[in-house]
Amino acid sequence: MISFHPSFQDLQTFSAGNCEPSLALMISAHVDMCAQCQQDCIEIQSELASEFTTHPLQTSSLNNQYDNMMSKITDLPILNNTPSKIINTSIELDGKFFELPRALRRYVKSTGNWSRLVGKLWQAPVDLGDIGKANFMYMEKGGRVPEHTHKGNEMTLVIDGQFCDGIAHYDCGDFTIMDKKHNHFPHSEADDGCLVFTIVDQPLHFTAGVARLLNPFSHLFFK
Amino acid sequence: MLIGISQETKQINSLKPIECAEEMSEYLSIIASERCKRSFSKIFNYFAPRLRSYALKQMGNDALAMELVQDTMSNVWQKSHLFNSEKGSPSTWIFTIARNIRFDMLRKQRNRKEDICSDDLWPVLCEQTPDANEVSLDHQVTMDEIGVMFGSLPEKQKMVIEAIYIHGKSQQEVANELDIPLGTVKSRTRLALQRLKEMLKDND
Repeated sequence: MISFHPSFQDLQTFSAGNCEPSLALMISAHVDMCAQCQQDCIEIQSELASEFTTHPLQTSSLNNQYDNMMSKITDLPILNNTPSKIINTSIELDGKFFELPRALRRYVKSTGNWSRLVGKLWQAPVDLGDIGKANFMYMEKGGRVPEHTHKGNEMTLVIDGQFCDGIAHYDCGDFTIMDKKHNHFPHSEADDGCLVFTIVDQPLHFTAGVARLLNPFSHLFFK
Repeated sequence: MLIGISQETKQINSLKPIECAEEMSEYLSIIASERCKRSFSKIFNYFAPRLRSYALKQMGNDALAMELVQDTMSNVWQKSHLFNSEKGSPSTWIFTIARNIRFDMLRKQRNRKEDICSDDLWPVLCEQTPDANEVSLDHQVTMDEIGVMFGSLPEKQKMVIEAIYIHGKSQQEVANELDIPLGTVKSRTRLALQRLKEMLKDND
């Protein structure tokens, strides 16, 4: 069951089209998986639409311009149904296929190879261009991400399976935003492990054990 | 007395958008089925100035605002068959189209590459086709071919087949809508399916 959703305010900003692209992508993928947020977005959109139709109009003499525009438009051909392009809708790791939410399918082709990070933790980078750095992370059963905090924001969406991080338990479809206030160590005890999609705007900051060696500049950020 | 009058006005105001939604839905479906320019002009006259005022507020530039109006209304004209009144009102549909176009325009303006586009974030104008994943490649090819074959059917048969198999209407509903006898709907359906079957056989 999904228990972690984007904030209502973020859903509003998203529905109005005013979100940062990386957050918009995350919310869109979450909405694909979450009936409740789908419904919220439908309602928000219809509110925004009624705002836009009841907005006071300036009386203006644009009639000529409008007439020209309308005749230009009605000269256009009606577009018939074009069958949707077949795109890869899943990613694969070790013979396991994971079906992706619609919003993420565009990025299957820009997903790099899986590499083993540490122990039972796998990572595949996703090139989002100017939007941000994204990764698919897969935790095998018993796999864990070393304890870390965040210099910037870390957004995570659970695509498949479940994981815990010492703060809460997350299920398929759950969406979280973590920042420097959050110190956590994600790990999965689910039999089939856990696949998540994450976007970070700054690298992770490891806070415990040998993993701290991964982060030689930690003293600049923690006093 | 005065209270009575103001209540009455209120009521009329609150009823208006609903009536308007039904009327606009009707126009959209006529545009979809008949490419009716008069219906489009009703939609256009109502929404174009509203879109302009929305766009001016968002883009702050008259040329861009008019571009947004034109792109949005072009989509309405060209893709009215994708409007589904069960999923929301015409104003919501048109608003979401405008929002998507605005999102892409703003990104283009900032010279961003097409790393993300509004269609991915909000599938407003997606074709109502089955999930690509559930359709095998062979099957998909056949569906494309059927699309071409369907296009070659006589207009009257096409209308009936589309109403029944794409919009899911009953034969009786189609008969009522087109104002033709039920028997005619049945025979057109039969003829059309027969024709499609023959074309499929020839294709093999």
